[in-house]
Amino acid sequence: MNDMRVSESAVGAQDVKISARKVQVFYGENHAIKDVDVEILDRTVTAFIGPSGCGKSTFLRCLNRMNDTIPICRVEGDIMLDGEDIYDRRVDPVQLRAKVGMVFQKPNPFPKSIYDNVAYGPRIHGLTRNKAELDEVVEQSLRRAALWNEVKDRLHAPGTGLSGGQQQRLCIARAVATSPEVLLMDEPCSALDPIATAQVEELIDELRANFSVVIVTHSMQQAARVSQKTAFFHLGNLVEYGETGDIFTRPQDPRTESYISGRIG
Amino acid sequence: MTEQHILRAFDRDLETIQAQLMKMGGMVETAILEASSALEARDDELAQKVRSADKAIDAMEERINEEAARLIALRAPIATDLRMVLSVMKIAGSLERIGDYAKNMAKRSVLLAQMPTVGSAGGSLRRMSKAVVGMLSDALDAHVSRDADLARDVLNRDREIDQMYNALFREFLTHMMEDPRNITACMHLHFIAKNIERMGDHATTIAEQVIYLVTGVMPEEDRPKADSVTSHGVDGAQS
Ligand SMILES: Nc1ncnc2c1ncn2[C@@H]1O[C@H](COP(=O)(O)OP(=O)(O)OP(=O)(O)O)[C@@H](O)[C@H]1O
Ligand SMILES: [Mg+2]
Repeated sequence: MNDMRVSESAVGAQDVKISARKVQVFYGENHAIKDVDVEILDRTVTAFIGPSGCGKSTFLRCLNRMNDTIPICRVEGDIMLDGEDIYDRRVDPVQLRAKVGMVFQKPNPFPKSIYDNVAYGPRIHGLTRNKAELDEVVEQSLRRAALWNEVKDRLHAPGTGLSGGQQQRLCIARAVATSPEVLLMDEPCSALDPIATAQVEELIDELRANFSVVIVTHSMQQAARVSQKTAFFHLGNLVEYGETGDIFTRPQDPRTESYISGRIG
Repeated sequence: MTEQHILRAFDRDLETIQAQLMKMGGMVETAILEASSALEARDDELAQKVRSADKAIDAMEERINEEAARLIALRAPIATDLRMVLSVMKIAGSLERIGDYAKNMAKRSVLLAQMPTVGSAGGSLRRMSKAVVGMLSDALDAHVSRDADLARDVLNRDREIDQMYNALFREFLTHMMEDPRNITACMHLHFIAKNIERMGDHATTIAEQVIYLVTGVMPEEDRPKADSVTSHGVDGAQS
């Protein structure tokens, strides 16, 4: 017994979905991400952990070019999705974001109805042929985000009228509605109660059958529960990246150990 | 990991189970030493004391396991903390087994006190017990001080215990062949020797837990067994 990993969470030989090399991110003078190399695997949940301000959200946003929307932000290095450079001039960021979906740290529903929030992506990308199909996608997405039962009777009420936790699940429904290949989730459960959290974690596990999921979380237990790979960031550096089971039982770097076990590092 | 937790109650909980484990270790060391003295001195009263002290050892194991379960539930330990709690639970289990062997030794020493002495086995068994207690206390010290080198040293010393056992086994065999009236006593003495040898194996298991605690990996199972008993055509039975 020299391995205490739960066999279910062990990672098989998965293909590389996203490959980042020598990634640097600057906000003006602030060097927020320093020389990060990482390979995000397909059909795998990868957790990004690390202290507040270490660059998790910044790095996550690089993966679908969300940083393009921040004027002072400069990204260097290579990020390849299925072997193709996502920062290539020919890549349309809007198309890219349909493939690499995102759920943000703060829920940001559009000022539209619940239905239209979820239908937005499938509509602009022309993913459905008729109203019945669209209805189906909206219902499926809301079910997957564990929100359907709470909103099925008021689909045309504004999304902004939902509670914080419900808004977060609405954003998750919106993100999965386009069936992205990669789903980036920035602390998706920070405003959710334990039941909704468990439902979102179940969804993440379900998505892993077909997609690659990257989740930023401050909950060590959540990272341990849902991910197969864990990356620990510290002051803009990727300090340690490995099998979640290893990171949580025998981290190699003392900074990782101090952080995950709640010590004064 | 000598840094403190931000939540200080967590450190206190870990210190508590560490202290309880050391207390249990002390109780078990005493049991071994007293059982071997009782055997050599044919002291029924001391043997009786060892037998009743075993209940306290069992109760201590239960307390440690409860405390560890509570700590897992409330503090969700990870990394070194998790390995610490797991190692404490496993070590408490080994200590409980060693306690049982000491109790069995005391039981047999009461029976042996009613038979004529055979050779100088009492002294040899006491030396063997002392060697095992030395391994045990070093393994426990290594646990407190997170000293993998000391734990590895304990692993290597198990060979000596095996050799002592093999020598005693041959001695008992000789006595039995010389005079069949020695057989009953020698059988008891042999079981005692075997039990002490098993205690050594448990001390080794504890040392392995220390290595796991410190390094995160279990040591490879490559210790050569100095066990020639099987070649005598007898498989050492226990208790
Ligand atoms: N839009 C922005 N403009 C300027 N600086 C930014 C911006 N976003 C992040 N930063 C800076 O980049 C660094 C990394 O921030 P980031 O939000 O990526 O951290 P984080 O790891 O996600 O933290 P948290 O856990 O608190 O969400 C910080 O120093 C932050 O101040
Ligand atoms: Mg963030």
